[in-house]
Amino acid sequence: MEAPLDPLVAAAIHDAKNALMALDTRLAQAAHRATGADFSAARADVARIAGQLAELLTLYRAQGGQLRLAIDDHDLSDFLADLAAELGPPPAGIELAIDRAAAERIGPWAFDAYLLKLALLDALRNALRHARARVTLALDQPPEGGIRFTVSDDGPGFPAETLAGALVPSDGSGTGLGLAFARLIAARHRTPSGRAGRLELANRPGAVLEIWLP
Amino acid sequence: MDLHDKTGLLIDDMPEMRSSMRIQLADAGLEKCDTARNVKEAIDRLRDKRYDLIVCDYNLGQGADGQQFLELVRRKQLLPLSTAFLIVTGETGYEQVSTAAEYAPDDYLLKPFTAELLGARIGRILDKKAALAPIHRHLGPGGDRSKALAACDELLAQGGRHLLDVLRLKGELLTAADRNQEALALYEGVLQQRATPWAEVGKARILAALGKEDEARDHLQQALAAYPNYLAAYDSLAQLVEKTDKAAAQQIVEQALRVAPSTQRQRRLGNLALENKDYARAETAFRRTVEKDRTGFFKGHDDYVGLAKSCVEQGKTMEALAAVKDMGASFANTPELKARQAAVECQVHVRAGNESAAKAALDRALAVQKAGGLDAATALEVARACFAGGKQEEAKQIIQTVAEDHDENPAVLAQAQGVFAAAGLDDEGTLFLEATKKRMIRLNNDAVALAKSGQLDEAIAMLTEAADRLPNNCQIAINAAQALLMHVLRNGADAARVARARGYLDQARAINPEHPKLAEADAFHAKVAKAAPAT
Repeated sequence: MEAPLDPLVAAAIHDAKNALMALDTRLAQAAHRATGADFSAARADVARIAGQLAELLTLYRAQGGQLRLAIDDHDLSDFLADLAAELGPPPAGIELAIDRAAAERIGPWAFDAYLLKLALLDALRNALRHARARVTLALDQPPEGGIRFTVSDDGPGFPAETLAGALVPSDGSGTGLGLAFARLIAARHRTPSGRAGRLELANRPGAVLEIWLP
Repeated sequence: MDLHDKTGLLIDDMPEMRSSMRIQLADAGLEKCDTARNVKEAIDRLRDKRYDLIVCDYNLGQGADGQQFLELVRRKQLLPLSTAFLIVTGETGYEQVSTAAEYAPDDYLLKPFTAELLGARIGRILDKKAALAPIHRHLGPGGDRSKALAACDELLAQGGRHLLDVLRLKGELLTAADRNQEALALYEGVLQQRATPWAEVGKARILAALGKEDEARDHLQQALAAYPNYLAAYDSLAQLVEKTDKAAAQQIVEQALRVAPSTQRQRRLGNLALENKDYARAETAFRRTVEKDRTGFFKGHDDYVGLAKSCVEQGKTMEALAAVKDMGASFANTPELKARQAAVECQVHVRAGNESAAKAALDRALAVQKAGGLDAATALEVARACFAGGKQEEAKQIIQTVAEDHDENPAVLAQAQGVFAAAGLDDEGTLFLEATKKRMIRLNNDAVALAKSGQLDEAIAMLTEAADRLPNNCQIAINAAQALLMHVLRNGADAARVARARGYLDQARAINPEHPKLAEADAFHAKVAKAAPAT
C-alpha cells in the first residue's frame, strides 16, 4: 500500500514542528523571567503536540514506503530513565510507577529507541489523562520470547469499539493517532527469522496497552 | 558523574549553536571544553591533544557531516577508542546517524535537549568507556590483540552491565584472529538470547570466512529485511556479492546510499560502475564525491581519476581533462599528485587519439616516477599510462618493483593484476605476479640459508640491499634486522650493527605495526642490545 508522497505535507509538518520548538524556547525564556509563574503545563502541551506531529510524519512516511527503522542495542534502564525525564512529573494526584527492576534484569535490547519512545510517551500521556489515581509502566519477557512494555491505568478503560479495532473512536475521546502509531511501530519491529512485534489492548478493568517487541 | 576533570571538544559550524552548546556543556559539568568550527580545526585539535569526549554536530557545513568525520578520524587513528564520540542531530539527521556503520558514534542525541539530559548521556558513555578501557587499551596501533581478548574474558567473568558490549568486541577480535569457530559460537549464543543486528552481521561474516558464502548471503538478506537501516549489513553483502556479480554489488551499494550518504560509498559505487562499464553512473558517483566534499579531507586523488576515466569512456574528453585539472587544484602539490595527473592525462589522450599530447604527458609521469618514492597506487597509475602509451617494458618494471615492495599486501597485488587486465594482459599478469612472489620467497629463504651456514655477511648484504630498495616490505626489513642481530650475537658487542637493526625494525613498524613476526624480532633486539650495550 505504498503511495507517492506529497512533499508539501511532510514540509508542512516539519514547519509546524519547528514553530513548536520556537514556541517552547519562548516559554522556557518566559518561565526564566517570570519567577513564580508555572509554565510546565504549557510546555507539556507543546511536547505532546510535537510528539503527535512526529507520529503523523512517521505514519505518512510509512504510507510512502519511506519508513526504515533504525534498530540498535539500547540499555533498557537508560531508555526508561530518558522516557521518565522526557515525560516529566505526573499531574497532581496521580501516581506513576515505572518498573525499573525488570529493565535492570533484562539489560540491553535491540529496538528503534526514537520511535518506541514516541509511542510509549503517547500511551503514558493518554493513561495519565484517563487515570483516577495510578498509572504503571511494566516491562517483562514473555515466555514466547521478546520483551513486552505494558502501560496500564485505573481509569474507565478503552471504549468497546477501540478494543474491537475501530481506528477513530466516535465518542471524541481522541483521534486514534497514538494507537495507529503504536500498532505500526510494534509491527515494524521484526527479526530476521520472521518474528514481529504487535500491539495488544485490553480493559482490566482500566485500560491496558501492551507493546510486544520480538 | 563528575565531569569537572574531563576534557571535551565541541565541533559545530554554527556560531550561535556553538555558544549555546558550550553553556549547556558547562551546566552539565564539562567546563574544560575546546571548540572547533570545521573539520580542519577539529583535526588540528585532535592532532594536538587527547580528549575524553567529542561532541559533534551532524551538520558540519562544506558538505561534511559528523558521521563521516568520525570515520575519517578513526581511520586516520587520530581518535583513540578511549575517546567517546557523541553526535548531536536534529530529527531529520537521526536516521542517518543511527544506522550503525563500521564506525558508530558512542551515542547520539536529538535536538532539542536539556543540559540535564546532556549530562546524563555524557555520564553514561564515559561510564561505558571506563568499563571497556581494559580492552580498548590493547586495541590501539601496535596493541596486543591477544591481551585484548584476555581482557574481554576477564570482564565477562566479572559480569556487569556492559556484558553485551564486551561480547561484541570479543566477536570482532575472534573474527580478526580467524578463530572462526569460536566467533561463530559467540554470535550464535548471543542470538539465542536476543535478536540484534550486529550479531547477525557478525555471524554472516563468519559463515563467509568458512566458505559458506551462499548461506552468508541469505543470512545478510534476511537481516536487511528486519534491519533496513543497518549499513554494516549492506557493506558486508556488497563485499560478498562483488566476487561473483559486480552488477548486483552495485545495486546493493546504491541501496546503502539511499539510507545514508557517504563519500566512501559513493567512491565504491563509482568504482563498481566503472568495472560494470556503467560509465554514466560512475561519472555521477565520482562527481558527487569530488563536489560534495568542499573540505578536501574526504576525497582523494582516486576520485578525480575515476571521474576522468568515466568521462573519457563516454567520449567526453574535455570533461575528463577538466577533472585532471581540478585534481591539481584540490590537493597539495606533491610528486604523487603530479605523477597521477600526468598518468591520467596520458590515458585520456590515448583514448581520444591525441598521440603527441599522450606522449608528452607520459614523459612527465615517467620523469616523476624515476625520481622514486611514489606510493603504490600512483606508481601503478603510471604503469597503466605506460601500457596505454605502448611502453610495455617500463610498465612491467614499475609493477615488478611495486609487487616486490608489497608482496604481503593482497589489495596492492590485486590492483597490480588490474593494471595487467586493463591492458588486456590478464594471463601474463597472473604469471608475472606469481613469479615475483616466488622470487621474494626465494630471496628470504636464500638469505636465511646463508645465515644458517655461517655466511652472515652475505646474508646481511642481500637483505639490507633489498630492505633499502623496498621501503614498504615489512618482512624483508624484519629479516634484515634479525641477520644484523645474529651477527652481533655471534661476534660480540657491536653498537653500530645493533643501531642498524633498530633502524630496520622501526622501518618495519612504520609499515605494519601488526606484523606477526615483529614482536618476536623486537624482543630479540632488546635481548641483544642488553647483552651488548652501546659503548
